[in-house]
Amino acid sequence: MNGVIEILSNTKLDYKQKRAALSSLTENSLPYVDISDKARKYMEDGIICNLNEGNAPYRPRYILPDYKKYFENGSEYLNIKKPSDMYEAVNALLIIYNYVPSITGYPVYLGNVDELLEPYCDTVSEKELENLLKMFLVNIDRNLPDAFVHMNIGPRDTRVGRLILKLEENLKDAVPNLSLKCSKDTPDDFIKLAIKTSLEIGKPYFINHDELVKVLGENYGIASCYNALKIGGGSFTLVRVNLKEAAKLSKDYNDFIERVLPDVIGCQCEIINERARFIVETAKFFGTSFLSREGLIDISNFTSMAGIFGLYECVEILSGMKMGADESADEMAENITKRAYELVKEKEGLYCYGYGGKIGFHAQSGIDSDIDVSAGVRIKTGCEPEIFNQIRLEGKLQKYFDTGVSDIYIFDRTAKSNIDGVLTIIKGAFKSGIREMTINTSDSQLIRITGYLVKRCDIEKYEKGEPLREGTVALGADSIKNCRILDRKVRGI
Amino acid sequence: MAYINKIILNTFIDGPGSRMAVFMQGCNLRCLYCHNPETWNLCTNCGECVKACKKGALYFKDGRVKYNKDLCVKCDVCIKVCHNNSTPKYTDMSAQDIFKTAYDNRDFLDGITLSGGECTLQYEFILELFKLIKENTKLTTFIDTNGYMEFDVLKKLIDVTDGFMFDLKALNRENHIKLTGYDNEKIIKNLEYVSKMGLLYEVRTVLVEGYNDSVEEIEKISKYIFNLNDYTKFKLIPFRPLGVKGKLSNMKQFDEEKFEYLYDNSKRILQSRLKE
Ligand code: SF4
Ligand code: SF4
Repeated sequence: MNGVIEILSNTKLDYKQKRAALSSLTENSLPYVDISDKARKYMEDGIICNLNEGNAPYRPRYILPDYKKYFENGSEYLNIKKPSDMYEAVNALLIIYNYVPSITGYPVYLGNVDELLEPYCDTVSEKELENLLKMFLVNIDRNLPDAFVHMNIGPRDTRVGRLILKLEENLKDAVPNLSLKCSKDTPDDFIKLAIKTSLEIGKPYFINHDELVKVLGENYGIASCYNALKIGGGSFTLVRVNLKEAAKLSKDYNDFIERVLPDVIGCQCEIINERARFIVETAKFFGTSFLSREGLIDISNFTSMAGIFGLYECVEILSGMKMGADESADEMAENITKRAYELVKEKEGLYCYGYGGKIGFHAQSGIDSDIDVSAGVRIKTGCEPEIFNQIRLEGKLQKYFDTGVSDIYIFDRTAKSNIDGVLTIIKGAFKSGIREMTINTSDSQLIRITGYLVKRCDIEKYEKGEPLREGTVALGADSIKNCRILDRKVRGI
Repeated sequence: MAYINKIILNTFIDGPGSRMAVFMQGCNLRCLYCHNPETWNLCTNCGECVKACKKGALYFKDGRVKYNKDLCVKCDVCIKVCHNNSTPKYTDMSAQDIFKTAYDNRDFLDGITLSGGECTLQYEFILELFKLIKENTKLTTFIDTNGYMEFDVLKKLIDVTDGFMFDLKALNRENHIKLTGYDNEKIIKNLEYVSKMGLLYEVRTVLVEGYNDSVEEIEKISKYIFNLNDYTKFKLIPFRPLGVKGKLSNMKQFDEEKFEYLYDNSKRILQSRLKE
């Protein structure tokens, strides 16, 4: 009961956050899903971790409802008809967002909102359109206060897409997280508008659409921090391996590649499959969710995710060399990534029908409690080499990740008066194999914590002990201390 | 071969788009406000800096001062003690070397900018480098210059250069001599020729208190640029003491209010052609 009292009396949590904490306490009163002793040991030792998902999962971690279908058919469960104008369309979205399950209770995917809303533009005046979209964005930020709530726009240039960028730049809210899909057909000046926005507020992400279409097909979305998943599907779970800790178990590089990594990833996949089994067979999620009944999700589009992080430190421990500073370290980094990818792909992914029965591979972005270990396959904060070399190396590594990977490039303020230059670098990055990236400036009001944004001023409030709407602010404040987020290298003169 | 002070792989302020900037050693003017006076001269191998470097990064070999980058902690003591306005840290590089660096990074670049010191002193190197760039890449070639060069050198450079950035210290002849030690006649002639050729991308003026910061002078320069053509951008830069040696090393940073006043004045004349 101690846990309950602790939650009830925590002055840093508001009502909703307490309710969420209480519910996970209840879930965790059940034993962990049925896994082997070896897998359990890896979890206890912090080599494998399932990111606060809870012992007995009763809903998939990431769900990407097919909002297009929702707009075509309406929803019987929600008693919503096919929208006939912009008011109804916006309202329909705001309603369904509250019914999309996830780990945090907030929807991690809001849809390709520009494509969804664009057809209704002519039903309202120019001014109404702007007001409605502003209200829509403000509503999302206040009602879904979680920086993993993710909206997509692009690759087509639309009025709605442009307005969202413009409004976001003025609102400067951390929510929603935002991604712009960029294809070779996306007009430069649309991308440039997004660059301008991004240099102010750290979003949107720039997504290499053509590359992701090759991997996932046209029907994909970016959810949560930067997870690339199929629309109408999602991921049951995300379980990650701490490569730094795994490296410590190894005698040497060969031992790591031949013995430790296969063993750890074997257990990781075992945990993943047991969690997926629990969601589908015990919690019977697909039998109970209206999303599933009404065809807005389908198990045939789902997968699970196997994440890795701490590659930088792993290479450092195994070789004494540093990624980004030493070519043989870079080569080792790629070999480890490739090996981990292959090991994941060797395994059957239970119910992973959306990925041909395989588990998706993911570069996990790190969480607040990670100390001295780098996100995904990124180079350690503050140790980045000259920017083009960083991009080239990350480009080589990103190609292995089919469910999300990203890097952050921070420019100094001179970039703001040279948007063309930044565009060239983004295009060069895509050409080098980069699939997802963000840019920002060092003096931005919004700080990107590995995968999501928090406001600089909110962090200051949190540190003073004031309760805040967004749980992610707490994660962010702790990450800044533990992971040296603010030390990321600044580019330009 | 050429004497190279420094290469920056990614800059946003040395011409259009994402550029690689190459700073060359050696200069033919002596501007009082120069931020990098260590780029003025070639090293005479006097050895003062070798004695001063506490890290053993500098040493003599065959009577010449050599530099070991791996031991250097970038304290710049060597630059401070050099009475010759030079540095032991510049290197000899071939046009091929620099071309290769640009070529390897071409996917991330819009172009390359040569700067200094005064890069046109080593114009033969520039001709060779820019030709290589033009033949093998789509990168644009820019030159950042003080404009103090012979006319036939300029004409040769124009054939391989996509844009020039001129430093205009002052229009007033006396002011120019006070600031740089030289007359501005040659510079103005070159600047006007480049303007006529459609290649004058940008003109910059550093505002130095008591030298060229009168309202009349800045108005005169702004109007001059306005009437020159319909495309050249103008940039006003406030003086900063960082790196400055000699007479102006104790001068304070240029007054912000005065800068804004002069900026607004110039803005009225040049509108969007005045850079932020
Ligand atoms: S850099 Fe200067 S101090 Fe050093 S040897 Fe050359 S001239 Fe002398
Ligand atoms: S900056 Fe000059 S003095 Fe300082 S360590 Fe490097 S070479 Fe030596």
